[in-house]
Amino acid sequence: MENLILCMAHALTSWLVSLGLSPWWADLILLTLQWTTIVMIITFNVLILIWLERKVAGFMQERLGPNRLGPFGLFQTIADTLKLLTKEDIIPARADKWIFMTAPMFFIIVAVLLYAVIPMGKDMAVVDLNVGLFYFISVGSLSTICILMAGWGSNNKWSLLGAMRSVAQMISYEIPLAFSLLGVVMIAGSLNLSAIVAAQHKLWFIILQPIAFVTYFIAATAELNRGPFDMPEAEQELTAGAYTEYTGMRWALFFLAEYTNLVAVSALASTLFLGGWLGPWLPSWIWIIIKTYMVMLIFMWLKWTFPRIRMDHLMSFSWKVLIPISLINIIITGAGIQFLRGMGW
Amino acid sequence: MFGKGLLEGLGITLKHAFEKDKTIQYPEERPYLQDRFRGCLAFDFPKCIACGLCTKACPNNVLSFETIKEEGAKKKKVQSYTIDLQYCLFCNLCVEVCPTNTLYFTHDFELSTYSRQDIKIVYHRPPELDLVVEGKEDESPGVKVELPDNSEAEAKRLKQIEAIKTVLGKNPQKSLSKILTSETDIAIMSALLSTDDKKLSKLAELLIDDRDKASKLAQAWVNKDKKDHSKEGCEQG
Amino acid sequence: MFETDQYTINIGPQHPSTHGGLHVEALMDGETVVDAIVHLGYVHRSVEKIAESRTYTQFIPYASRLDYLASHLPTLGYVQAVEKLTGVEVPERTEYIRVILAELSRIASHEVFVGSLAIDLGATTGLIYCLRDRERIMDMFEMSSGQRLITSYMRIGGISYDLPDEFFPAVKSFLDNIPRMIDEYTGLISGNEILQARCQGIGILTAETALAYGVTGPNLRASGIAYDIRKVDPYGVYSRFDFEVPIGERGDCMERLIVRIKEIEQSGRIIRQALEQMPAGEVKDKVPKVLKPEKGKEVYHRIESSKGELGFYLLSDGTEKPSRVHVRAPSFVNLMVLPLISRGCKLQDIIANIATLDPVLGESDR
Repeated sequence: MENLILCMAHALTSWLVSLGLSPWWADLILLTLQWTTIVMIITFNVLILIWLERKVAGFMQERLGPNRLGPFGLFQTIADTLKLLTKEDIIPARADKWIFMTAPMFFIIVAVLLYAVIPMGKDMAVVDLNVGLFYFISVGSLSTICILMAGWGSNNKWSLLGAMRSVAQMISYEIPLAFSLLGVVMIAGSLNLSAIVAAQHKLWFIILQPIAFVTYFIAATAELNRGPFDMPEAEQELTAGAYTEYTGMRWALFFLAEYTNLVAVSALASTLFLGGWLGPWLPSWIWIIIKTYMVMLIFMWLKWTFPRIRMDHLMSFSWKVLIPISLINIIITGAGIQFLRGMGW
Repeated sequence: MFGKGLLEGLGITLKHAFEKDKTIQYPEERPYLQDRFRGCLAFDFPKCIACGLCTKACPNNVLSFETIKEEGAKKKKVQSYTIDLQYCLFCNLCVEVCPTNTLYFTHDFELSTYSRQDIKIVYHRPPELDLVVEGKEDESPGVKVELPDNSEAEAKRLKQIEAIKTVLGKNPQKSLSKILTSETDIAIMSALLSTDDKKLSKLAELLIDDRDKASKLAQAWVNKDKKDHSKEGCEQG
Repeated sequence: MFETDQYTINIGPQHPSTHGGLHVEALMDGETVVDAIVHLGYVHRSVEKIAESRTYTQFIPYASRLDYLASHLPTLGYVQAVEKLTGVEVPERTEYIRVILAELSRIASHEVFVGSLAIDLGATTGLIYCLRDRERIMDMFEMSSGQRLITSYMRIGGISYDLPDEFFPAVKSFLDNIPRMIDEYTGLISGNEILQARCQGIGILTAETALAYGVTGPNLRASGIAYDIRKVDPYGVYSRFDFEVPIGERGDCMERLIVRIKEIEQSGRIIRQALEQMPAGEVKDKVPKVLKPEKGKEVYHRIESSKGELGFYLLSDGTEKPSRVHVRAPSFVNLMVLPLISRGCKLQDIIANIATLDPVLGESDR
């Protein structure tokens, strides 16, 4: 059970080689298959996640969420997707067409690229980069450009306003995000995600780095434009922010991309702090699914409890509170490592 | 500590997430409606006496009815009754003012229709109401008809009689001046009524039904009394 | 070297956070509000004109629809105004029943306030909890009058029917539940640091400005002036109850929220005392079927509604229909300070300001 997927991959490669293909071609075909699988996993996850979010919101508000379509309302997202597919595709007359149309595509491409380095199980990262964490954070920042493209391409001053607010928020929270992860890197001694997971086989990093976990969590919520930090796109504010002019499936792509980001960020949190695929009895790829969903449930819990933070409080919170805290965390971690190494641990 | 309120809020939502939900599955389960719930206005045809109080009480001209009066019949009969539900404010003024409890609210709250014409509710006179036995004319054996329930109207009538009797007892001048003209007559009548209860009941009934007859009867009593007194006077003095 | 232009944002009549059809035109400079112009009239239903062609009794359902969130309060004000005009007396039991229903309406209105403030600021769950608690009050209204929201239950000279037997246990269990409710609101809404950061120090209304503009109700009391018509000029049997009037100090959004939450508790106190003191008896006196007050008589009667001073001016011309009915709506007057308290704030603070001024557009536009 544990090595099921690895065995399947190995069997496939050897079968292709036996057919006469060179190993390079076999690897390429395997890579394509891996990418397809990842895209399918993402789509499936997002469908479940939208359903889960509505159910969790419902239970917290003492009501059931969707419960009519399918058992427990599982097919609700499919119905919503079909509805969105049938909507009219409006492009504003004087919008910058190319930027307008490509913004959601780039957003989702960037979101999917994040999955290249996440270890889905033991030795199951698609690409086992030595700078995996660095890659993750850099690619994650690219989504900022996509929102700006969406805001600019709509030719609408409210979209631009919302997009600029969103960009300001995302840039401000990149820094605490990166700094909070530095503590983990210092303890593990590597940027390679598989190595970080392996370094947790005695003790999960959440126990060694609680402040980093909280900082990472808050920064990630802001990065995802979610929860208490969704000022740029909330409906009680004036406009829907950068996404005002988008209709139908394009609009759905933005939200799909946001949920994809959510899964990626939660998977990273469980990899770095909760031990990734480590765990007794069950196969490693089931463990990472469980841990990722636990983290996502906490994200949803935060979103449905707290009111929104005002824009200027948001910025001042990031620059004046989170960055100093994460810097202090780095100093303490460094001092602690030196101290414990000196003691011979 | 900063953040205590945040954690309290998180605790509250978490607690509620595991509690039983407070909603009902609407089309399958119906909500529990209290007794006095005002759903749709309804009309109980046999009880209506065409007094018109409901149409006067309604703020929005929702209610209207048509009557016919047959020759020789004493009262008008309601032919049809229309409730124009689109203007109804569901304010209960018509239900409260009706003397025979003809109008009432049902528990039906799903009142939307597909076209504006369907919103008016029209009640037509049911044919069995006209088969009611009136007086002793119809003694032939025939179709056994169910008489409409008159007990409410009867009770109402008795109440009215009692009310007039009280008024005649307390303030006879005012009420008797409507049927007798001279002051002396009124004084004699009031003295008579205070002693004789049978006369009081008879006069009260007639005051409700037929005022002319009442005044004739009162005059007759007064004349008889004068004659009696003059006889007495003659006898005495 | 660089100049910024001012631009206009319309917080339009169709908006999730404007408590009805309220249109606020915000003149902005960057992220700061320079001015906020209030445009009313989207919910105008010409109620005062309609009153001229309805008799005094027939106008009661229209009076209920003025402040639809707490519909016993405007009905009470109107019915007491007509009783003042015509000299009709009301039995004791009815006065107490009216007080109980009016205070329940006040609690219901404040619950909607707390819930809508929560959802305007982003905490959706807060609204659901407040509405869930308000359902119990709606059930009590349904037991007594038959309607949940627009109860035209009070009549001139009394009320339509006496309270049914199942009303009293329901009220008692609701009153026992009030402390738990207040704890939950404090824990989720007013104790939340994010909400406190968004409400403290925002939209400060000083006492002098409030008095100058004629602001009444919890908004005035949050600015520090203890003016409650139930204490200052008692109507009905309010002089027989012992309750406090919560006041604030600074007059910012947070104080307005806290004052209303405390008023819920005080209303609970009044209801308890009313239940104890209520005598048995009839509920409707003999009232002439046609009310014709003397010609030229005018009366102004005011009550403490959940939003402020709700006043009814009636002028009679000798017939059964009033010659003029004017409603002094507290929401209309309270909304006029919105530009003052929003200047210098951020755009999101306008939303918080509107929410804490607690307007009801049905009564401000009539």
